[in-house]
Amino acid sequence: MCPLTEEETRVMFEKITKYIWENLQLLVDRPIGTYYFRLHNDRVCYVSEKMLKLAANISGDKLVSLGTCFGKFTKTHKFRLHIMALDHLAPYVKYKVWIKPGAEQSFPYGNHVLKSGLGRITENTSQYQGVVVYSMADIPLGFGVAVKSTQDCRKVDPMAIVVIHQAGFGEYIRHEETLT
Amino acid sequence: MENNILPRQQAEQKTPPDSIAFSKSHPVLDSDAQKLKNILCQTSNLETVRKRNSMSDDDIDSEDELRMMIAKEENLQRTSWSYISNSENDPFEVVRDDFKLDVHKLHSLSRVCMNNVSRHVSDSIMGNDCEYDSGDTDELIAMKKNISKVKNSAEFSQTEKPISKKSFKKKELSDHCNKVQKRIRKKSSINHGVKPLSDSSSSDNEESERDEKYKAMMKNCPRINLTLADLEQLAGSNMGVPENTESSGPQSTTSCKFDRASKSPKAPRSIYTGKQCICPEEILASLLREENMHGKQKPQEDKKKPKFQAFKGIGCLYGKESMKKTLNIASNNIIEEQSSLKHGDSNSISIENGLPHANGSPSKSTSCQHTKKKNDLNNIQPQRQLTYETQDHKVVSPSSSEKESRNLISSLLPLKGKTSLSLSAKIHKIGFDKDNCHGTQQREEASEEEEPNSSSNTSNVKPPKCYPGEDTRESMPGFSLSLSNSLSMDAKAKPAEDNQKRLAALEARQKAKEAQKKLVHNALANLDGPPQDKPTHIIFGSDSESEMEEASTQEPNLPGEELVKESRGKASGKLFDGEDEESDSEDDSDRFRIKPQFEGRAGQKLMDLQLHFGSDDRFRMDSRFLESDSEEEQEGKCLIVQKVLMPELEMDIIHYDPTRHDHITYERTKDDKPKESKAKQKKKRKEAEKLPEVSKDMYYNIATDLKEIFQATKDTIEKEKDKPGHKACGREKNEEVHSVVALMSGAEQPTEFMFSFFDSDSKNVKEETYKVETVKPGKIVWQEDRRFQDSSSEEEDVTEEKDHKKPSPEEASFPEKETTRFFFFSKNDERLHGSDLFWRGVGSNISKNSWEARTNSLLMDCRKKHKEAKRRVKPK
Repeated sequence: MCPLTEEETRVMFEKITKYIWENLQLLVDRPIGTYYFRLHNDRVCYVSEKMLKLAANISGDKLVSLGTCFGKFTKTHKFRLHIMALDHLAPYVKYKVWIKPGAEQSFPYGNHVLKSGLGRITENTSQYQGVVVYSMADIPLGFGVAVKSTQDCRKVDPMAIVVIHQAGFGEYIRHEETLT
Repeated sequence: MENNILPRQQAEQKTPPDSIAFSKSHPVLDSDAQKLKNILCQTSNLETVRKRNSMSDDDIDSEDELRMMIAKEENLQRTSWSYISNSENDPFEVVRDDFKLDVHKLHSLSRVCMNNVSRHVSDSIMGNDCEYDSGDTDELIAMKKNISKVKNSAEFSQTEKPISKKSFKKKELSDHCNKVQKRIRKKSSINHGVKPLSDSSSSDNEESERDEKYKAMMKNCPRINLTLADLEQLAGSNMGVPENTESSGPQSTTSCKFDRASKSPKAPRSIYTGKQCICPEEILASLLREENMHGKQKPQEDKKKPKFQAFKGIGCLYGKESMKKTLNIASNNIIEEQSSLKHGDSNSISIENGLPHANGSPSKSTSCQHTKKKNDLNNIQPQRQLTYETQDHKVVSPSSSEKESRNLISSLLPLKGKTSLSLSAKIHKIGFDKDNCHGTQQREEASEEEEPNSSSNTSNVKPPKCYPGEDTRESMPGFSLSLSNSLSMDAKAKPAEDNQKRLAALEARQKAKEAQKKLVHNALANLDGPPQDKPTHIIFGSDSESEMEEASTQEPNLPGEELVKESRGKASGKLFDGEDEESDSEDDSDRFRIKPQFEGRAGQKLMDLQLHFGSDDRFRMDSRFLESDSEEEQEGKCLIVQKVLMPELEMDIIHYDPTRHDHITYERTKDDKPKESKAKQKKKRKEAEKLPEVSKDMYYNIATDLKEIFQATKDTIEKEKDKPGHKACGREKNEEVHSVVALMSGAEQPTEFMFSFFDSDSKNVKEETYKVETVKPGKIVWQEDRRFQDSSSEEEDVTEEKDHKKPSPEEASFPEKETTRFFFFSKNDERLHGSDLFWRGVGSNISKNSWEARTNSLLMDCRKKHKEAKRRVKPK
């Protein structure tokens, strides 16, 4: 459990910025208390100050996890978002995609979102923009990347992939062992 | 009996129509002012109905799609929400950044509900809503979150209706009851017992019609949590003391009016109402006065004090209750609840009645009922209360050790009920405020509520008087003393040991308090005193000793104070001793040194921590406790955030800064251009070289022309001689046809070099007088060579030819002459001689004559030849 290096922080922020853009500032400077990013077993944990101090009493090798695991660093030092970050990022996300109930069924299995399953999309979504996938009931389901811009979405055929699945709530079950 | 039964029947008969009327009254309500709220509430119902219908189809997708359809339609209708006009064609919709589903939903729902109010009403009447779909809970919850406030208010208003109805009934009942004789008391109580049941049933109907509302209401309303065990316990405690049921009855009756209400006749009511307020108060007050203790009961304070229970005696409780009754309506509610439960103990029927209150029916309604009843019957109660209370205090209380135990148990209940009930009463009041539809009932209720108070005020002026008096008296000391007073009273009354013990403890406590006061007083006196009593100069050791002595002399009786004093003295002594021990220099250096760990923001934190610990050496904060990393980390994070967020901007706008070394890459090197255009430059050079060739020829020719023009000073003879030679030269050079002058001046070529602007003129320019000189041929040749280095071989040849020819005429023709200069020409300039050819001079008659003669002869010859030619042609 140690603070992130500058490079790690930069990589992680760049990733998060793809979803929430300038709202990253709000994530770092929280009005309610101070929150820290901590690296623990290659995983980035988002911890409140209080919890951090409590966790300091536990030795690192005995500590499984703390706070909210935002994601992990791969061996190539890239950052991969985990589904647990959804609760923290969803309120700040700028571009959203709502999927129909049918797609809602397949999304947790790691499937991409086809145009046929696209229920609603934020305007001016650019290509390769990080999005948060919502159900039609406005419940955040996971992260994705829009492979088609809003305008392109109109033109493509219904079976074309519109949003690439990055992380979904299905991981809570499918990747239970790796999510800590 | 008939009288009694009749009202009950009436009540029972009334209840069902009431419920129906209520359900039917919805549309009417909808048209009223606060309808919107109701509508909003009903929307949830509506949706649930709809949802359940869809659910009945067992098609989950269809339900979801229905939702989607609604949303979509809504979007279409509200162009502000839907960005695209042709969203019908698109399977998906495009929304703005600030899109929020909840609001959208809310709107749609409100609209739908507006449209389908009638349907909803019918549904509610049909009672279709009885079931609550778990599948819809999520949405409902979401809805509730959004509309919670509105809903709550609306619910209040709704819940109020039944209440008001009930109150209506109650009023009637109470009227009946008032007429009924005391002996039929029990029946009436049964009647009352039945009434709540019927009410609850009716309310059940209503609530079954809208479960969600009810749930929300339950959330918002405080409820009385009474378990069966509690009730049993209460009942047991009461049953256990059957003798006291009557005596405790007053207690309950004091609070619980509605049960006994029927007993009281109408007439005595007003009188007794006055007494009601008085009795407990006055009794208590008199008792307290007798005790010679300070009356320290402050009703409001009593509520808050937690100690209440520990010290509480019956009298105290009574006193409070009665006071509350008169002063606070809310407290009345509490007491009522309590009393009702107690009453239930005494009456088996009433217990049964009480149970449904606690369990089945909503607590709110029951509480409201109680309040209503109380309001109605408040007036009747006092009579009983008076009697019983007097019994309690004067007669029964001395012997009621059992009673106390019972009270302890029972007191638990009121505490529970107190808070919740008081709250419910408040809510009820809120409901009143919000209720517009049932204003009449409300007014009646209000008037009823007022009645007891007014009656108490008017009929009996005493109680109000008593309170202020007591209050003023009580205002100074704390609550504990009041309790002790009551306790002491009890103790006096009872021979029990524990009471005596309590009394003793109380006295000890009071003494301790006084002692503390004295202590403080003395301390203050000492603080103020010293300058007067003692010398201004303070000797530490002696002072503390004297203080000690003083303390001991002043108050030898109080051990607690002595202890305090001692500790003070010790502390002071320690302090001074410590200071004496410390050396001044060390002290100063330590004290006034700037501590780096307390610098900055983190240092401030540390400083606060240090202050918290005080000047304890063991907890001295040094730099090791400084937490700097957290702030640094935060700052670093912010910096990185800025870097991550900003870079796009930076990348877009790069300003070239010549002072920066890394911007050299943006500079263009000067060499690039020449290298690229080398070939071009060569071409240009060649072109440039060629061009002069052309111009050179022209220049040469022109120059020759000019020279010839200006040098046409030679004799015509000479020109004529040179003609053939010059012609040959001209043809060879340019093959151009020159003017006559040029032809004529061709022979004078050597002179041209005299006018060259390069070398030959230097001599002439220096001279004042213009000299016509012949230039040596060798020099000319050399000049020519230098000037026309690049000239082609052809030209060279030409010049060579020229050179060969030139020398001979030059030498012969030019004699050296000095002439005065006139403009460019000297007098009698040879160059101007040739001009004679162009004008007819005075002396040119000869030539003219000869010319005429010659022309005539020539004409003649011409004609001859012409004639000859004609002749030749003709014969042919």
